[in-house]
Order: sequence, then C-alpha cells, then structure tokens
Amino acid sequence: MSRFVLAAVCIIAAFPLAATTQQPSPPTHNMQGAVRVVDVPGRAVEVTTGVGMALRVVRVQVPAAVRITAAGAPLALNKLAPGDIVRVSYGGKPGGGGYLAYTIERVGRMETGAEGGGTP
Amino acid sequence: MNGRLAVWCAVVTVAAGSAACRRPPQPGDPLRGLSATERARFDRGRAVFDSVFAPATGLGPLFNADACAECHEDPVRGGTGDEVERHAAAFHPELSGRPCDELAALGGPVYQNHVTPALKAALAIDSEPVPPQATAIAARTTPDIFGFGLLDAVPDSVILSYADPEDRDLDGISGRPNRFFDGRLGRFGRKALAPTLRDFNDGALAAEQGITTPAVPTEETVAGRPLPDGVDLAADPELSDSAAALLDAFVRLLAPPSPLRLSREARQGRDAFARAGCDRCHVPALRTGTSPIAALDHREVAAYTDLLLHDMGPERADICLGLATPSEFRTEPLMGVRLMARFLHDGRATTLEQAIEMHNGEAARARDAFRTLSAEDRAAVVAFLKTL
Repeated sequence: MSRFVLAAVCIIAAFPLAATTQQPSPPTHNMQGAVRVVDVPGRAVEVTTGVGMALRVVRVQVPAAVRITAAGAPLALNKLAPGDIVRVSYGGKPGGGGYLAYTIERVGRMETGAEGGGTP
Repeated sequence: MNGRLAVWCAVVTVAAGSAACRRPPQPGDPLRGLSATERARFDRGRAVFDSVFAPATGLGPLFNADACAECHEDPVRGGTGDEVERHAAAFHPELSGRPCDELAALGGPVYQNHVTPALKAALAIDSEPVPPQATAIAARTTPDIFGFGLLDAVPDSVILSYADPEDRDLDGISGRPNRFFDGRLGRFGRKALAPTLRDFNDGALAAEQGITTPAVPTEETVAGRPLPDGVDLAADPELSDSAAALLDAFVRLLAPPSPLRLSREARQGRDAFARAGCDRCHVPALRTGTSPIAALDHREVAAYTDLLLHDMGPERADICLGLATPSEFRTEPLMGVRLMARFLHDGRATTLEQAIEMHNGEAARARDAFRTLSAEDRAAVVAFLKTL
C-alpha cells in the first residue's frame, strides 16, 4: 500500500470518529428552562428545569460548533446569563456521561417570560 | 291513601328532591354540572388520590407522605392536614442575574422528611439533609386543594390585570407575577411557582411521594447525590401517564367550598373587609376563561386572591423561589379558609385575627386599617371569613 493510499485510508477512517467526538448524537431531548450557570472556560451551561416543585438541573456541554441564537442572530456563549430562558436540544454524549447541546436558543428572561407567550 | 294525601306527598317529595339538588357542594364533592365521562374520571382519579404507595410500588426513596390523601385529609380528602414540610433555597441578592438558587442541583427546594428503609440502611439518614449552601429553610403546611381547577382556568391576562409592580397607583400594593423557569406565568404554591395544575400535581407526586411519572421520570437526589444502588427497585415511571391524568382530573374537578349564607354580622364583616382594603389583594372573585370542561368554562370563582406575589415584610421572609424574594408570597386564596385550623404559609397563626395581625409589608396598610376598626367590626370580619 502506498503512503498516499495509507494516508487516505487513515483520514477516511478518522473522520467519523472525529465527528462523533465533537458532535452529539442526534438530539434526543428538548428542554426549556432558565440558565443557572454559564461555565465559559468549561464550555457548559446548567439549566434549571423541572415540573412544579420537582426541579432538576441539567448540565450540557456546548462544543464550539454549537449554534447559539437569540432572535435568529448568533450569540456567543459568554453572552448567555443566569436567568435567561433558553430552549435547548441536546443528546447524550457518545459513550455516556452527560449531555451535549445541539442547539441553544435564547427566548426570553425569567422576569418577562418567553417571547411569544411563554409556552414551551 | 286518598287523592289529597297523595298529591301532598308528591309535592313534599318533589320539594325535598329539589332542595337536595340545590344543596351546595360539600368539601370533597365534584363540581356541579360534570358530564358522565367527567364524573367517571373524577371517581377514578379519587382512587389514585387515595392510593397508598409502598417502596415496592414506587414510594420514595425520599418522601413526605405515602399518599396524597395522607396530607390532604381534613375534613375530607382534598382538604388540609397537619404535616409541615421543609423547603430550602439560597438567596444571594448581591449577585447579578438570578439571586435565587432553589438548590435544585442539591436536591431542593423540597427536602423530604422521610426515607424508605432501604435508603436508611444505605445512608443512615432519617430524612434528606438540607445542604449548608441553603440560606433559609421554610416550613410549609398543606393547603387545601378545593377549587384548584377553577384557579387553573383563570387566564393569565386576568392575573396580570391586577399586577402593579411599580405601584403606579400609589396604594402601597405592588403585586407582581412569579414565573416558572421556562417563562410561563406561575400561580400554584405558596410562592406561585407552578404554572398549571397538572404541573403542580405531577411535581407533587415526585417531590412529596417520590413517585416518578412520564412528566418527571427521574427520582429526587439526596441533597444532590445520586441514589445508592439498590434502594429504588420500582421501575420508572412508577405511575403511568393515564393514572397521573386521572389524579389530575380528580383535583381539577373538586368543587370549591361553597360560601356559607351570610349572617347580618358576616355582611357587616364583608363590608369592613373591603373598607380595610383587604380585597385589594384578596380579590373576591376571579373569572375563568374558555375551558373544554363546561363546569370550568367562563365561571366566577370566589377565590379571594389575585394569584400574585406581594412583599409581606421581613418578619415572614423565608426562602426565595423563582422570581419570588424571601419576603414575597402569593396572596393565599381564602376560599375554604373556614376549614383551616392553622393559617399562613407555615401555620404559625392559630386564629384568623392572628393571621391578619401578622400581615406586614404591602399588607401593612390593610392590617393597620383592620386594627382601627371597632371591636365589633373586627369580630365581623372574622365572622365573614368563617363563611368562606
């Protein structure tokens, strides 16, 4: 096998692996909740959600490629703040051990509710 | 039987039957005017409400009660109870963004008073410990839930019409809404966090009994720590969506206690209640909106609440929750208050007069006006409240 062919095979073989380590599996969950913590160095957000008095916090990793928007415009992770209402689609990390965000949309603030009536 | 006697008996029978039909709903009765299907769901939901859970059927591992009816029991199912539970949160007003941490990542805000034998054996605890991050622990009594379906059917716009967060009318009262984390307007619970009755019920199954449902598929943690292996053997969800929906139907269709006929003294008290300004927050009647259930559709409910948050002063302050600061509480509905033996969110008042005296903050003006009433008028206000 020539070096060229070997390199090509390695690139082709490595591409799906690289893709799976950076991209979540297709989103299996959706949630709308309030940002609790924005961990910019760790590229993660914690979202408070739940039902009634049964509250839960979901921590999702936010890879650099994840699309974060507000009113359709791109938003940097560090522009999210505690109290922002966000709609997040996410999935389990490949191999388990937490969640990866797929998309994050800021839809309002807790003080004023979500845009468009506030129904998730 | 001669003919005249037969007619007389018939008249008496019809009159008695008519009187029975006019008999107002008693506590625990369903709303009037339910369809046969709705009535059947009410009856089937009552069985879920009465269900006593055990660890093998899903109870716990952390819980406050093993059945809805264990707490909501007095004078009948759906009423109040003598249990007092613990809620905790951390309030940091110096933080920008959200000053309230409901400690949801640490098992909060409800810290269960009981654990199953398996969890006790694993962790040697009798109740869920409140983590040191909490800045306040609140005592919470059991509310009665009569008429909650009507409160659920009140449109958001009606609640918001009473809000005056900037106190623009300068009456010292500045009600504002709470909101759930997804932005929906809150209305249920002492801090008005839960936006809908279904959320309130599903959340209670998880937080009060440790019963998972499709809406809340995961168990509570132990102050943030995952449950040890082997302590929760019932498969999730521990209650099906259809059973949870029946439970919701029962609660939704419970009639509010019918106000009693007003005596002359009670009428005098109703006037004094309004004169003192109590009705600025304890709004006598709310109107429901469109509902697929005719008994909830465009009805007036004598709720005596605006379902908004009001600052009640520093003496009563405990936990924050959502947008509610420690000193803000939702105006407690007074419908059914005659059935209560303890008053205020933590049950510290044992008489209605004490409860009024403990109002402060936005309610200080009304409380002071109550104090300036004659003794006769004050007694009349209490007599009026005992008709609700």
